[in-house]
Amino acid sequence: MPDDSAAPGLDELTAGLAQRRERARAMGGEDRIEHQHAKHKLTARERLDLLFDEGTFVEFGLLAHQHSMTGGQTEPDRTPADGVITGEGLVDGRRVYCAAYDFTVMAGSMGMVGEQKVARLRKRALLNRLPMVWLLDSAGARIQEAAGSTFAGSGALFYEQVQMSGVVPQVAAMLGPCAAGTAYIPGLADFVPMVKETSSMALGGARLVKAATGEETTDHDMGGSQVHCYVSGVGDLEVEDDAACIRAVRDFLSFLPSNNRERAPRRDTTDAGDRRLDDIAKLVPASPRAAYDMRKVVRRLADDGDVFEVKPTFARNIITALVRFDGDSAGVVASQPMFKGGALDIDAADKAARFVWLCDAFNIPLVFLQDVPGFIVGTEVERQGIIRHGAKMLYAVSEATVPKVTVVLRKAYGAGYYVMCGRGYEPDTLVAWPTAEISVMGPEGAVDIIFPKQIAAAEDPAAARAQYIGMVRQTIDPYIAASWAMVDDIIDPADTRRVIIEALAGARTKQQRRAWRKHGVPPV
Amino acid sequence: MAEVKAELVGNLWKIVVEVGQAVQEDDTLMILESMKMEIPITSPVSGTVKEITVKEGDVVQEGQTVAIVE
Repeated sequence: MPDDSAAPGLDELTAGLAQRRERARAMGGEDRIEHQHAKHKLTARERLDLLFDEGTFVEFGLLAHQHSMTGGQTEPDRTPADGVITGEGLVDGRRVYCAAYDFTVMAGSMGMVGEQKVARLRKRALLNRLPMVWLLDSAGARIQEAAGSTFAGSGALFYEQVQMSGVVPQVAAMLGPCAAGTAYIPGLADFVPMVKETSSMALGGARLVKAATGEETTDHDMGGSQVHCYVSGVGDLEVEDDAACIRAVRDFLSFLPSNNRERAPRRDTTDAGDRRLDDIAKLVPASPRAAYDMRKVVRRLADDGDVFEVKPTFARNIITALVRFDGDSAGVVASQPMFKGGALDIDAADKAARFVWLCDAFNIPLVFLQDVPGFIVGTEVERQGIIRHGAKMLYAVSEATVPKVTVVLRKAYGAGYYVMCGRGYEPDTLVAWPTAEISVMGPEGAVDIIFPKQIAAAEDPAAARAQYIGMVRQTIDPYIAASWAMVDDIIDPADTRRVIIEALAGARTKQQRRAWRKHGVPPV
Repeated sequence: MAEVKAELVGNLWKIVVEVGQAVQEDDTLMILESMKMEIPITSPVSGTVKEITVKEGDVVQEGQTVAIVE
């Protein structure tokens, strides 16, 4: 018999494993962790603890590390997990995959081994039809591994994200830098919260920008939340710190199903479905010219006043929000008269179209609250391409086959009425308040187009114009639309919550099949 | 110092503050008439109105500076 008494026993081998695991879990070491905390950032592992229900995280690839691509020495201890922690766990009891980039290991840079881990995670997410979350805090591609023309083989990550789009929810949480091509990860994700001050994203980081064009800037100035959550619209929500960011990820996921074949989970509520909105008259002025804050109306309507606004600081003339009605998720698209009078421009159309696509992909019914004076007109918006952006919103609303409910509060003018799911866009229910003004345009504009000669010829043109305006105004009356059965009902504003809930219940079993096509050709 | 800008093109209908007046953040400074709506132009900061660069009846363009608050 061979003598193996010198070979280590199982206990010893297992102890060696524990040591390796402990080393890997220590990430980039105490100094770097301290540095991370000093920047008001949590470590990747602290973030994972906040994301997942306690004790549910299962890690893959803990023992992975960087390998030298140039034949040099590898240093496993310097690159635990190769800078990205990958695994799965439960969020509110539902399984979710997550890749958390670890800034304490080579600045969270994306190396060959780490990216293989993330690729495996994406495949598992898609195979199992479960959401994928990226916690991004990364200097970008690890250039020492990626420079040179082996680049020709890279890039599949974005291709795969596109295949995942509309099948499983994708969230890219911005908790630090995300420079260079990797910025397409949030670019393709369904929800992108950004931490104020510490997060940034840009197709080229500041150093690359300087080298490429000579422009002097910083990552923060170029791509912080003050840019992406307010100006560019790439970010969906600006949050104060890492903890708030992770909370936002959990909240967002709570409104969505795990995949496109499921319904979003219900959240039971004690908020009565027939709760009347007693103070609604105080919130919405009857004068069609006066502005008010539609967010307050949305809060009154939703279960428990719980509203999760997406892009609240971008294109504020329209509100896109996830809420629940009688326990079920719904997406609200609402005019916001507080900003630009609620008139639509390119950013508003963009924001709404994207939100409608998100909700439709994941079986979330849509509720439209109309108080829209139309699309902004003029030379400026034409140069910006308002026609194709407006067409995009039309396209998204037309394509949506989820239950759709439309409420006209006050104004519903022109193409604004169309894109906010007017009759022609097949809402399952369309109701109006007694204050509703549905018309191709406002009486003032109509009069100036229809009666310019009569007004000019009148003895007192101003009085004549006022008289014509009064005449046209009489034809703008919701009861006329109701008399033609073009709206389903005129409702007491205080009953709006009940009416929406009944309408959604009525459309719950909706099945809509379109003519076969490979795909449409949406305007963007 | 903050430049107050019009958020969209329209007729400047009413100016409701005067130069030298103290204002709070989000206070209405003037009202724009556009897209059949009275659209308030509010102060981005708390401070004193240093300058008003438009007058009632003017057509203002998107992004045009209409006042300066210090």
